[in-house]
Amino acid sequence: MRITCPYCGARDAQEFSYLGAADPVRPDGMAAAEAAMADYVYLRDNPAGPHRELWYHGSGCRSWLIVTRDTRTHAISAVEPAKVRKAGEAA
Amino acid sequence: MAETAQWTPRSAWAGIAQPGTFGAAGRGGVTATLLEGHGLASLIAAPGGAEALARRVEQSLGLALPTAPRIVSGAGHDVIWSGPDQWLLRARSRGEMPSLIAELARYAAVSDQSDARAALRLSGPHLRDALAKGVMIDLHPAAFAVGDAAATSVAHLGVQLWRLPDAAEGPAFEIMVARSLAGSFWSWFAASAAEFGCRVVAGRG
Ligand SMILES: [Zn+2]
Repeated sequence: MRITCPYCGARDAQEFSYLGAADPVRPDGMAAAEAAMADYVYLRDNPAGPHRELWYHGSGCRSWLIVTRDTRTHAISAVEPAKVRKAGEAA
Repeated sequence: MAETAQWTPRSAWAGIAQPGTFGAAGRGGVTATLLEGHGLASLIAAPGGAEALARRVEQSLGLALPTAPRIVSGAGHDVIWSGPDQWLLRARSRGEMPSLIAELARYAAVSDQSDARAALRLSGPHLRDALAKGVMIDLHPAAFAVGDAAATSVAHLGVQLWRLPDAAEGPAFEIMVARSLAGSFWSWFAASAAEFGCRVVAGRG
C-alpha cells in the first residue's frame, strides 16, 4: 500500500504510523458526561467502505495526515494535512 | 574544563568508513565522498512565522527557502526542505554556525546539528542501481530532478537525500543519516554498492 503524502508525494506505507479514526473529537473531560467520555475512548464505527483515519508520516516530513481509505479495498481517495482540520475546528 | 580541553573532534565516519576501495575490482561504479567540516542546523518556523524567516534567510544568505521538497544552494550555504515550515541549513564553513544560529534564532527554533548527522556525497554510473536496493522512492531522472530532495527511510533508517547536478562520472546525490546510525547505514551501503565496485574518498561538505 502506498500513501500519497500531500507534502512528500507517494510513499510506501511502512514510512507511516497508523493512529485510528480521525473524526472522534475528545469531549471536555471536566464537563462531559461519563457516557460521552466512554464513547470517545472506547467506541468506534467499523465501516465497510470509506474511513477517515489519522496517519503520521514519521519517516518523511513528520506530519499528521487524514487519509480516507476504503476498508474493503485499501483504495485511498483523499489525503490531507490534519492541521487543516484542526484549524477548522477552532473556528 | 581541564578534561574538555583535551577533547578532539571525531568524524562521524571514524571507525566506520575510510578512504580506499571495496567490492568488485576495477569497476568504479560508485564513488562515496565522506563529508566533513560543514555546519548544519535545523530551522523550524513558528506558526505563521515562515514568511518572516524566509525574508531573513533571503537577506542574510541570498537564498529562497523552498516550500516543496527541494534544495536551494548558494556559494556558501544550502537550505533543504525537511517538512512543512522546516528546513535544514548547511554552511560550508562550520566556524560561522554560532553567529548564524544566533541571528536566525530570532525568527525560528534553531538547533545546531553539525555533529548530529553523517553525510555522504555519492556519484557514479551505477549509483542509482546501488541506491535502488534500499531507497523506496523513484530516483529516475524523469521522477527526481536535480535539486529535488526527500526525507525517507533506507533499511529502516531515516535519511534525507537530494540530487546534485550530474558529475562527470554519472549521477550525483548527497545523503545524510543520524550520526548514531552511521554504522548501520554504512553496512547497508557497502553491501549494496560492492557489486559495482566502490571508491571511498574524504571530502568537504
Ligand atoms: Zn510527508
